[in-house]
Amino acid sequence: MPLVRGVIYAAIGFAIGGSISLGITNMTGEDYKEPMIVLGYVFAIIGWLMGVGMWKIWGREWFGKSTVNDPTGGWERYLKFNTDHKVIGIQYLATLAVVFLLAGLLAMGLRAELADSGQNVFTKNTYNTTMSLHGIMMIAVAVAAVMGGFSNYVLPLIIGAEDVAFPRINALSFWVVPPVVVLLLLTPLFGGFDFGWTAYPPLATQAPIGGLLFELAFLTFGISSILGGLNFIATIITQRAPGMTWGRMPIFAWSVLAASIISLTATQWVAYGMLMIIFERVFNMVFFSPPGGNALLYEHIFWFYSHPAVYIMILPAFGAELEIISHFARKPIFAYRWVVRAFAAIVALSFVVWAHHLFTSGMGEELAVPFMVLTELISIPTGIIFLSALGTVWRSKLRLKVPLLFALAVVFNFAIGGLTGIFLADVATDIALQDTYFVVAHFHYTIMGGEMFAIFAAGYYWFPKITGRMYNETLGRIHFALMFILYNITFLVMFIPGTVGMNRRVAEYPPEFEAMNLIVSIAAFGLGLSFLPWIYNMLNSWIRGPKAPDNPWGAKTLEWQTSSPPPLENFKVMPTVTGDPYGYGDESVVHARFGKSSPSSQAAPAEGD
Amino acid sequence: MTIHVPNVNHRFDPLTINRLGLWLFLVSDASFFIALLSSRVFVSGTSTPDEINQVLGLSLTVLLLLSSLTAYRAEVAAENNDMSHMKNMLLATMGMGILFVFGVGYEWYEALQHFPPSTGFGTVLFTLTGVHVTHVATGILTLGFVYFRVRKIETIGDNLFAVEGAVKWWHFVDVAWVFIYPTLYLLK
Amino acid sequence: MTAALIWVLLTVVAEFALLSLNLFGDAATKQGQFIDDAFILLMALAIPVFTFVVTMIGYVVIKFRADGDELEDAAPVRTHKKWVGSWLIWTTLLTIVVIIYPGYVGVQELRETHEEEADLTVNVTGRRWQWSYEYEGRAVSLFAKDDMLILPNDSLIRFYVTSEDQDVIHSFWIPAFRMKIDAVPGLTTKFDVNTTKIGNFNDDVNFRVQCAELCGRDHSLMFTRVKVVEPAEFEQWIADQAA
Ligand code: HEM
Ligand SMILES: [Cu+2]
Ligand SMILES: [Cu+2]
Repeated sequence: MPLVRGVIYAAIGFAIGGSISLGITNMTGEDYKEPMIVLGYVFAIIGWLMGVGMWKIWGREWFGKSTVNDPTGGWERYLKFNTDHKVIGIQYLATLAVVFLLAGLLAMGLRAELADSGQNVFTKNTYNTTMSLHGIMMIAVAVAAVMGGFSNYVLPLIIGAEDVAFPRINALSFWVVPPVVVLLLLTPLFGGFDFGWTAYPPLATQAPIGGLLFELAFLTFGISSILGGLNFIATIITQRAPGMTWGRMPIFAWSVLAASIISLTATQWVAYGMLMIIFERVFNMVFFSPPGGNALLYEHIFWFYSHPAVYIMILPAFGAELEIISHFARKPIFAYRWVVRAFAAIVALSFVVWAHHLFTSGMGEELAVPFMVLTELISIPTGIIFLSALGTVWRSKLRLKVPLLFALAVVFNFAIGGLTGIFLADVATDIALQDTYFVVAHFHYTIMGGEMFAIFAAGYYWFPKITGRMYNETLGRIHFALMFILYNITFLVMFIPGTVGMNRRVAEYPPEFEAMNLIVSIAAFGLGLSFLPWIYNMLNSWIRGPKAPDNPWGAKTLEWQTSSPPPLENFKVMPTVTGDPYGYGDESVVHARFGKSSPSSQAAPAEGD
Repeated sequence: MTIHVPNVNHRFDPLTINRLGLWLFLVSDASFFIALLSSRVFVSGTSTPDEINQVLGLSLTVLLLLSSLTAYRAEVAAENNDMSHMKNMLLATMGMGILFVFGVGYEWYEALQHFPPSTGFGTVLFTLTGVHVTHVATGILTLGFVYFRVRKIETIGDNLFAVEGAVKWWHFVDVAWVFIYPTLYLLK
Repeated sequence: MTAALIWVLLTVVAEFALLSLNLFGDAATKQGQFIDDAFILLMALAIPVFTFVVTMIGYVVIKFRADGDELEDAAPVRTHKKWVGSWLIWTTLLTIVVIIYPGYVGVQELRETHEEEADLTVNVTGRRWQWSYEYEGRAVSLFAKDDMLILPNDSLIRFYVTSEDQDVIHSFWIPAFRMKIDAVPGLTTKFDVNTTKIGNFNDDVNFRVQCAELCGRDHSLMFTRVKVVEPAEFEQWIADQAA
């Protein structure tokens, strides 16, 4: 019901905004289409949000009326504006799983086109749109799956909170995501967009209306990301369980804090980047074209966001990876304090390295050396993450369950991703490699090999907590083996065309590069199929898997000390933290006590409040 | 039906949490304004056309600074539970805000003749003032909502953060202008 | 001890493999040769790091595996001053090395010729979806899409690159030269190469100018065939064209 209402209100909103815009363009005599879409969309979003339940839960308050908020209920609680962080986490994960699979199908399409050197599967324009859609959808998954999905579900639990600091803002951050997906999926109907996920103008300002939809989508997505970051920071500062000092905070919470700082500040820049393109399209402004304009302005602004953004993706992935490694190695995280320092250093450095994407852009020559130096310095804190992972497993008691397999694969894959990054940070080699398949292989190693593998690790690890059921271990192992092997064949081989002279974002290429591309394509199709056991395992286990105990892994962090799935507000009895969560093999360290010092009046949800 | 209000927190009162949230939002938005200001130099260098209306620019600045003063008075009055003074000051702030919006409207009217959006300086001028005036508009709206909520009540009670938040937001918007004004009008 | 041996062994094998492989043929410019050498050097430095990670994971998975149903804790080692310290020192050293060489030195190397007078200057303009070339001071220009870009060997060639005003960004890349620079509307960019090798698109596809920045529909096809010839032959060709 709320969904239907949301759609209807959105339609009404679009009609209102569109009419206002039509009225104005009628007066000024400008082209009506793009202004109508922009203004109509702004009103449609407001209508959509109010329709799905924001009005009832929040909007009425602005007019001094009473609000009603009931986050409980059956499956329909997932289909409305809901303030429970666990519901929101699942909403994110389910939405993004669909986006991930769709974008994966698009990737299969790309690989079909690239299996031989000619132009056969797509036309040139549809190839570019498909490639761009694959890219931006995957980026959306990469940014929001750990932060919106797992952080939402796990962060309040792991720090012993009842919910996030601003539950309504949290719901708002999720509910602007469906419009993003809808806009992106609509783009092919409006001429598509052929400028990649980076949207460099002037190409982007000259693209068909599909391009405008892309910019609105990215802008909206940015809002979601900013509000999410804000919420996590406030949650970590104010909602930790009594006794959870900074030094006792699980590493996952630290990584979310680090990523949130970036999300809160850097995302504004991409929002401005998109806004500039929209302004140029709608108001004929001249940011990027001569005379006056300068295309490099966009590249700087865009990468001032998009470089830090890769740390929004990878830091929480590192956090989850280390968390899982420690609990399955049954050994404390090695060099915990250094890891926290490394996160801090990475956040700081991430803001001052953006121009390593601009070594061949024609920017001022004097910028090359400083940005190269700063970029290469990041290897030092990144190395500490490796030290910690390897130090933790050394002399441990490894239990090779599926989550650990994926977490160890992150270490392996990210080693390749990180090391190849140095080739791109070095000015000389980057001049040769920039915009070739070497870059494509590199960022798939970091994003897919690093982050997506960590997401799968997290998915298996927290599956029993989220669903209350166990997944099938054998199927999980099959999925892991297939995905790990085929993934590595696909993307290791993909480095080769890059080094021998094949550029990226092309549908046609010299026949000399055919053999290696065929190998990549075949492996990629296998990789695509490797997700089938995962889909089956997830759906089947969620519906009829065996009931999971509260703490199937014997892990010590707080999310495992409550029922699976946890009740509304998470803990029947609030925990009091008395030590850090990694006290394996050390009886003297107890993470939390339940009961004694927590006021029992807070245990049950307040009725009729 | 369970009616549920998220039962936040053990150690921080809601007021503190809200304040923190607002500050975080201001940090985030400040980051946006930095992006905005940095694009000025890229698009139109550091030159300022002679046709720009310096008198208008200065008056707009003074107007906003004055409105910050009344906003501040409103907050103090709210803390002291001086409801009538608070309402007057809120109204005065909104009034000056609306005047400011009209001022920007006039500025645009003039600018359209000398440097329309399709010129380098016009691009910068319309973007900077446009984004800023949108912020001013949200500020006026927020103050309006707050005024609407407190217009009939006797003591401030739970509405203190509403007043405080709206006023902080207003100050922020003013400070943003304090950076935009020299960037737009005074660069040589 | 065993782990260390495996690591050394893997590293030696991988380094030998690297040095015996011919990864990407010879570059056709002095700058390109520097870039290729830098690439090989970075590979050589990356290999021990990578084999270290692989050895550790492999060793640990076999050696420290505990698959019983009993949950068994390991000895709680939380940190280790010496390991952390030496790890930090090693990673910092490696970083400093690559910053200096090939990093800083490479930048200087690529700029070395900037003050010198070029033997040939070519003004390159990009527009959707083809390149045009003007041989400065030679009264020769190439406008047709299937023209071949002829360049002299053993010469310092300077390319000035731009894109038409209402066009989009392109990138001027000659894979055989290893060099590229973006063609940006309203901006003139440049790079220098010292050609060192005769070559021809028909023998080696990397003798081509390829647009390397997505520019819309025919981006893949935005290329020009390149031929590097002896200087005398080049002068002859110029004279023929001008005539
Ligand atoms: C089945 C696995 C995948 C395959 C076979 C695949 C394949 C491809 C291909 C062929 C391209 C076009 C590259 C180019 O021409 O520049 C591409 C681009 C891209 N992919 Fe993937 N991909 C896969 C999964 C992913 C994942 C999991 C992510 C991120 C989470 C991702 C993110 C991207 C991005 C950001 C681009 C760049 C698009 C652009 O240039 O604008 N991909 N991928
Ligand atoms: Cu980057
Ligand atoms: Cu191109």
